[in-house]
Amino acid sequence: MHNNVRKLVYGAATAAALIGATACGDSSTEPGGEQEVISRVTLTLSPVGFTAPVQTVFIDDPDGAGPQSPGAQVGTLSLVRGSTYTGVVKFENRLENPPEDITEEVEEESNEHRVIYTVTGAGLTITTTDVDRQGRPLGIRFNAAAGTTAGTGAVRVVLCHYGDSPKPATATSCTADTDIDVAFNFSILN
Amino acid sequence: MAYHYLYDMTVFRPRVRTLLIAMIAALLASPPFDAAQAQGARHVHGVLEDSASGKPLRNADVSVEWGVPPGVVRRARSDSHGHFDFRDLPAQRVLLRVRLLGYAPVQRVVDLSLEDVLVKLVMSQSTVTLNQVAITADTVVDALERVTAITTLDARALDATRGQTLGETIKNLPGVSVIQLGPSIAKPVIRGLNSQRVLVLNAGLRQEDQQWGTEHAPNLDSFDADAVSVVRGAATVLYGPDALGGVVRVDHASVPDSGPLRGDVALNGFSNSRQGAMSIGVQGGGLALPLIGRTGYRVRLTTRVAGNGAAPDYYLSNTGFRELNGSATLGVQRNWGTSELLVSRFATELGVLSQAHAGNFDDLQRAMTTPPRDSSFSYGIDNPNQRVEHTTARLRNTFRMRDASEIEVVYGFQYNHRREYDGHGPLRFQNVPAFNLKLFTNSLDVRWRHSTWRGLFGTVGASAMIQGNQTLGKAFLIPGFDLQQGALYAQEEWSAGRFSITGGARADIFSQTTLAFADAGIRSPAGTKSWTGFSGSLGTAYRFADGWNASLRVARAWRPPTVNERYAQGVHHGTAQYELGDATLEAERSLGVESGLRYAGRALSLDVAAYYNTISDFIFLQPRQPVFTLRGAFPAFNYAQANAHLRGVELAGTWSARTWLELQSTVNVVRGVNRETDQPLFDMPADRALLQARIVGTHAQLGSWHAGLGTHLVRQQDGVPEGTVYTLPTNGYALMNAELGTTGLRVMGRAIDVSMSMNNALDTRFRDYLSRYRLFVNDAGRDVVLRVRIPFSNQSL
Repeated sequence: MHNNVRKLVYGAATAAALIGATACGDSSTEPGGEQEVISRVTLTLSPVGFTAPVQTVFIDDPDGAGPQSPGAQVGTLSLVRGSTYTGVVKFENRLENPPEDITEEVEEESNEHRVIYTVTGAGLTITTTDVDRQGRPLGIRFNAAAGTTAGTGAVRVVLCHYGDSPKPATATSCTADTDIDVAFNFSILN
Repeated sequence: MAYHYLYDMTVFRPRVRTLLIAMIAALLASPPFDAAQAQGARHVHGVLEDSASGKPLRNADVSVEWGVPPGVVRRARSDSHGHFDFRDLPAQRVLLRVRLLGYAPVQRVVDLSLEDVLVKLVMSQSTVTLNQVAITADTVVDALERVTAITTLDARALDATRGQTLGETIKNLPGVSVIQLGPSIAKPVIRGLNSQRVLVLNAGLRQEDQQWGTEHAPNLDSFDADAVSVVRGAATVLYGPDALGGVVRVDHASVPDSGPLRGDVALNGFSNSRQGAMSIGVQGGGLALPLIGRTGYRVRLTTRVAGNGAAPDYYLSNTGFRELNGSATLGVQRNWGTSELLVSRFATELGVLSQAHAGNFDDLQRAMTTPPRDSSFSYGIDNPNQRVEHTTARLRNTFRMRDASEIEVVYGFQYNHRREYDGHGPLRFQNVPAFNLKLFTNSLDVRWRHSTWRGLFGTVGASAMIQGNQTLGKAFLIPGFDLQQGALYAQEEWSAGRFSITGGARADIFSQTTLAFADAGIRSPAGTKSWTGFSGSLGTAYRFADGWNASLRVARAWRPPTVNERYAQGVHHGTAQYELGDATLEAERSLGVESGLRYAGRALSLDVAAYYNTISDFIFLQPRQPVFTLRGAFPAFNYAQANAHLRGVELAGTWSARTWLELQSTVNVVRGVNRETDQPLFDMPADRALLQARIVGTHAQLGSWHAGLGTHLVRQQDGVPEGTVYTLPTNGYALMNAELGTTGLRVMGRAIDVSMSMNNALDTRFRDYLSRYRLFVNDAGRDVVLRVRIPFSNQSL
C-alpha cells in the first residue's frame, strides 16, 4: 500500500510540474520593428552656375529585404551637356512611419562608410566632395560634371560599409560589406 | 557575458607546457615494453551460467575495472561456452561486471594481488532489466542493438575526445560525419542526413535546440556524458518519427544511491585555438534530505575558452568561443523504483568567421576569390556571432510493478534562447540581435516496459510535447509558432535461440500554428496545419555462428516540414543566399532497408552495414531566380520537394593483432541522389576512411598506456549538384594523427589519466566539403591536445 501512495505522490508531482511549466511556452512574433533596411535611395543634382530644374530621382524597394525586386527608377536625370552639378545621395527607410533618414547614421559613422560611384555609358565625371572625420572621402556629397557629347548612361551607387576592416584612402570598388548597390539611368542632353 | 574574465587563458599556458614536458619525460624514462612483462600482469578467467538451467551464457557484456572510479575499464564478450578472459591486469583488486539482456546484472570484486583468478558467475533471469533503454554508464543494452547499427562510446572512449564538441566526439564513428563551422560549431551528420533528420537525445530527452538550422550545433556539454551512442538509420519507434538519419544518444549514469563522495577534475588544452577547458564533476550517495531520505547527487561545472582557430597559413578570424555549463542531479533508488531530477544549463558565445558574412553576392564572390585576411590571434569575439543558452529540467521516475514490469515517466522542460548578431548595420544595432529566438519545450513521456508475455519483451509508450517559439530579433527569420505533438508506440522483441525479431510501430500527430508577421516589407501569414503519420520498423537478427550476427531491417520514418522550411524569408549571411520557405510543403517520408554483419571475437571485431533509403518528398533547397533588393543581387533558393534516395556502406573493424597491438579502421561511403533530376544531393559527406594503429600495455607506475598513429583519408567530393557556387567540389586530403596517453598514471599516490593527441600532425592544408567555411578558408591546421583527468575520492576501491 505504502508503495502505491509513493507512486501516486510522484506521479502527481510530475503532472503538476508539467502543468506549471507549460505556462512558460507562449509563442509570439514581434521583431523589434527597427528592421535595419534601406528602402529608398534618392539622388539629387543641383545645377551650378546656371539656371535649370533640380534633378531628383529615386528607387524604392517596397518590401525592403523581402523577395520582391526594387521598383523602377522614378524620375529622370536629364543633364545639360558640359555643365556641372552638385549632388547628394539620400538613404531612407520609408517602411517606418515616419520615414527614417539613414543618411544621418552613415554620416555619424562616416569613418566606416564610403559611397562609391561608377559610371557606365555617356561621359559623366563624379567627384566626391565630402570627407569623413579622418579626412578620407565619404561620398554623400559630390560634384557631377557632364561630358560634352550627348548620350545615355548609368551611375551605380554602392554604399560600402567597412565595419572592422580598414577603410582605404581611395577606392574604386567596395572591398567590404555592400549595404546598397543600385544603378540610376541618366541622359546628357544635346 | 558574465565570464569574460576567463578570456585570457595564456596565463595557464606555461603550466600546461611544464606538464607536457613532465609527461613526455615520464614516458621516456621507462621503456614501454616493460609493461607486458610487468610483475603484476594477472589473468581473470571466468564462466557464466544461467542460474536456472546451468547452461553457459554467451554474448554477455563483461567488463573489468580498477582504479579510483571511474577508473580503467576493459571489456569482453562471453563466448559460446560462457567463457571470458582478461589478461595483463594489474595485481590488485578489480571489479568485474556482467550484463546480459534478460538477466539481472552481476558484479563481483576479484582480488588479483596474489594470483590469477578463475571465477564462476551465476546469473538469474530478470524481466526488469530485459529491455533497458534506460542507460547505464558502462554500456547500452538495448533490444534494438541486435538489429540496428549502434556504436557506443563509453566513458573511457569519451575521455579520449573530452573537451571537443559533441560533433567532434563522434565524427570518427561509422556512418557519422560533421558539418563544421570552424572549431566551434560541429553538427552531426548520420548517413548523409543532418539537422531535423538527426535526433539528439540528451539524458533521455529529445534535445530541442532549434536543430533545424545547419549552423546550430547541439547545445550540450560534452563533458557531461557517460556514454554517447550513435544509432544509424531510422530509429523512429522509441525516439521520434523524424529520426530519418539516425539518433545521437547522450547518456548519463544514474546517480549513485550510496557510496562516498567522488569525482574528477578534467583539464584540457588545445594548441590550435589556444583553448583551455576545465570540468569538475562530483557525485556521491547517502545525502540525507528531509522527507526524502537517502539521496544520490551529481554536480558538474564546465568552462571552455577558445580563441581564433588557425589554418596552416593564417588565423581564422573571429572563430573563438566561450562556454560555461553546469548541471545538477538528485536521485533516489528505492524498492518501488527510482526518481531523478536533473537541472542543467549550457551557455555559449561563439564567433562566426568574418569572411563568411557577406553583404551581397558580389561581396561573397570577392570573399571567395581574395586570399583570407590575415588576422592575428585573439580571444575576442566580434560580430557576427551567436549567443545561445539552453536550460533543461528533467524529472524521471521509474516504478517497479508487481509483475516485474516497469513504468517510466519522464517530464522535461527545455528553454533554448538563441541570439545571432549581425556583422552589418549601424553601430547602434551592434548589441541588438538580428535574430532572437526563444524556444520553450515541455514534454511528457510514459513508457511501460512489460514483463515477458508469450516470449515477447517490449516497451509500450506514449509521449506528448508542446512547443512555443518567440521570434524577437530586428530581422525576420522565422515566425513565432506553436507546435503540439502526440505519439503512441510499441516495440517488441521475440527471440528463439539464435534467431530474433524486433518490430515496432508508432503513430504521431503534429499540429503547427504559425503567427502572422507583417512589417512594411515582409509578410508571413498565420495558419495551423496538422500532420498524422505512422512509422515503424521490422528487423531480424540471426547469430549464425559464435560471435557472428547478421541482421536485416526495414524502417519507415517521416517528418512534417519545419517552420523554417515553410516560412523562411531572408538572407542567410553566411552564404549570402536568400532562402524562401514554402508553406504548402508536405511531410517527407522515408523507407529504408539496411543489413548488417557483425562479428565480435577475442581479437577481431567487425561491423559492416549497407543501406538503401528511399525518401519521398525530400525537402531541400532548390536554386531559383536571384532575388534583388537595394543591397544588390542574392542567389536565391526555395525549399522544394523531390523524391530522393540515399545509399551507402559503413565498415568498422578492430583487430588486436597482438596483446600489445590494436589496429582499427572505419570506412564511410554515402551517395544521395535527387531521383527527379538525377543530380547528387547537396551536403553529402565525401568518402572517407580512418586507419589507426595503437600499441598498448600496462605498467605499475604508468598505468594502462597507449601510443598510436592514425590517418584520415578523404576522397574528393565530386558528387555535387550543378548550378550554384555553394556546391563547388572539394579536393581529397589525407591527415595524420598521433596520440600518446595513459590511464592510471601514479602521481603522488594518485592515479591520474594523461593523454596527448595531435590532430592534423603535418599541418596539411585542406578543405572539407562539409565545412561551411570551405568557400573562404582552409580548415584548421595542427592541433596538439593535452588532456589530464584527476579522479578524487574520499575512499578508494
